[in-house]
Amino acid sequence: MQSIENLVTQIQGLSSNASDITALKDYLKAAEDLLRSESTRLLSFLDQLDPSKHSLGYLYFLEPCMYCSITKERANTLVPIIARFITSCSAEQIRYVPEKFINVCKRYKDQVLLLEAPIRGVGPMLTAIRKIQSSTEHLTTLHPEFLQLCLLAKCYKAGLSVLEDDIYEINLPRDFFLYCYYGGMIFIGQKRFRKALELLHNVVTAPMSSINAIAVEAYKKYILVSLIHHGQFSSTLPKYTSSAAQRNLKNFSQPYMELVNTYNTGKIAELETYVQTNREKFESDNNLGLVKQVVSSMYKRNIQRLTQTYLTLSLQDIANTVQLNSSKEAEMHVLQMIQDGEIFATINQKDGMVRFLEDPEQYKTCEMIEHIDSSIQRIMSLSKKLTAMDELISCDPLYLGKAGRERQRFDFDDFDSVPQKFNI
Amino acid sequence: MDFSPLTDALASKSYEKIADICDDLMLKVAAEGIVFQDEWPYVIHLLGYYYVNDINSARFLWKSIPSTIKDSRAEVVAAWKIGQHLWTRDYAGVYDAIRGFDWSQEAQALVAAFSELYTKRMFQLLMSAYSTISTQDTALFLGMNEDDAAYYVQQQGWTLDPASRMLTVKKQPLVTEQKLDPSKMQCLTEYVFHLEH
Repeated sequence: MQSIENLVTQIQGLSSNASDITALKDYLKAAEDLLRSESTRLLSFLDQLDPSKHSLGYLYFLEPCMYCSITKERANTLVPIIARFITSCSAEQIRYVPEKFINVCKRYKDQVLLLEAPIRGVGPMLTAIRKIQSSTEHLTTLHPEFLQLCLLAKCYKAGLSVLEDDIYEINLPRDFFLYCYYGGMIFIGQKRFRKALELLHNVVTAPMSSINAIAVEAYKKYILVSLIHHGQFSSTLPKYTSSAAQRNLKNFSQPYMELVNTYNTGKIAELETYVQTNREKFESDNNLGLVKQVVSSMYKRNIQRLTQTYLTLSLQDIANTVQLNSSKEAEMHVLQMIQDGEIFATINQKDGMVRFLEDPEQYKTCEMIEHIDSSIQRIMSLSKKLTAMDELISCDPLYLGKAGRERQRFDFDDFDSVPQKFNI
Repeated sequence: MDFSPLTDALASKSYEKIADICDDLMLKVAAEGIVFQDEWPYVIHLLGYYYVNDINSARFLWKSIPSTIKDSRAEVVAAWKIGQHLWTRDYAGVYDAIRGFDWSQEAQALVAAFSELYTKRMFQLLMSAYSTISTQDTALFLGMNEDDAAYYVQQQGWTLDPASRMLTVKKQPLVTEQKLDPSKMQCLTEYVFHLEH
């Protein structure tokens, strides 16, 4: 029968090379029950272990401590210990038991939130992701935890480092839903609406057997960001959307669908009235800020529409058409749109006129070529990945079984019959 | 708290790096559980964001500052006032906010550098957005009095009609590189190969 002291000695002795560590892992796994029963004592033994050299053992000792009910005082003790562990642990060692590591990190997040200091968790959680990931293309359970901390701590910029990675590997669907939803919120906060739309679109169109709350909330934001960024919203979802989503999403977002209809009238006053009347609904969804951005985007939309009809227009005419109070206000709106690159125009104060111009981009510069180049490279590597995936699936027994059943039996060209069952 | 990367950047006038340095430092310090808010150089942090034109992050930083600090440190509030005007695009108000406070010694250099940069940015904006503009408005955008503003822009080639007090903008032609290098041939070959297979 092992004792805790024995385990400590074993950890200290067997942590130096891969074969020792494999043996150590077996000992520790066998001692899991002991560790759980002695969880209250384990903290005191941690001093004898080095989190960087004895990461595996440290983790086995640390994890049972997470299961007792956590009070603020206990969190105060545990949080710095876990933070130090995450920062100094060896990625190789903790990858032997990823579930334990993830568990510790998730509890760490809970404790940091209990202490009302989400910013404390941002740095260590990012380190944790990089250590547990098999590659930057791998989406772990810790990704959404990290993004949630970034949102609560208002460290939106920190979240971007993880959102820039392309994801090809996912463990759990729930991770993906939350990652895209929180990621969408971070991009919205940084006013990068195109990227926000991409992520929210992923939530809404992801495979799901039944409708889930994350998809519903994402859809509401998707509608609003669509209006802000594109000035329009199409309620037809792509073919690859799940039938659960196609059937149910619109029912849960009635006020937002109405908002789209009001927006499409192009009349600011009507839109503002509608928002005022339904203010509480938007507020309870925490979407009021976004809705207000939708309203101010309407001025932009209306001015942009003018560029399609006129070459020059007076500031006063712009003010009248778009329902602004004065030509000075119109001038400021146009100036802001020029500053943001949403319109190409020059203002002539002497005559009080605006001249609308064509996009001066000629697509001939070195910078543009680099941009196109890198896009092509990305698509080529994506294409290679898809080909590899396609080949893998073509060999998959489940797929072949189904394909065999559904094939036409009487094609001239194929005389090989595909067996319906494979016994491998 | 070890602020040496920050002091180094300030000393070497690498102001564009201040925002990133402050962000990284803040996360590091927070992770160690240190209560940093009272000693944190919020003024420098905010100004660092303005310098790289990241007003979104400046807003979030302001939201996260505890109200005790907002009440007790007037310089932090003054620094945010600049950000407020940047956010609402009150172009002239930015200068008022910059000049309306007696900045501490450590903030002065950064404030001055930002003010200069902002004036240049405003000038670029005027050049791209206006074909004619009154001297009065130019003065507001550039944070100068009318005569200084007229002088400044005339140095850049604009012309002044003294009767109407209107300035005609001289657009500077954009010089963009268009030279291609031979490695692009290699890229093109790869693309065609990929498309063929």
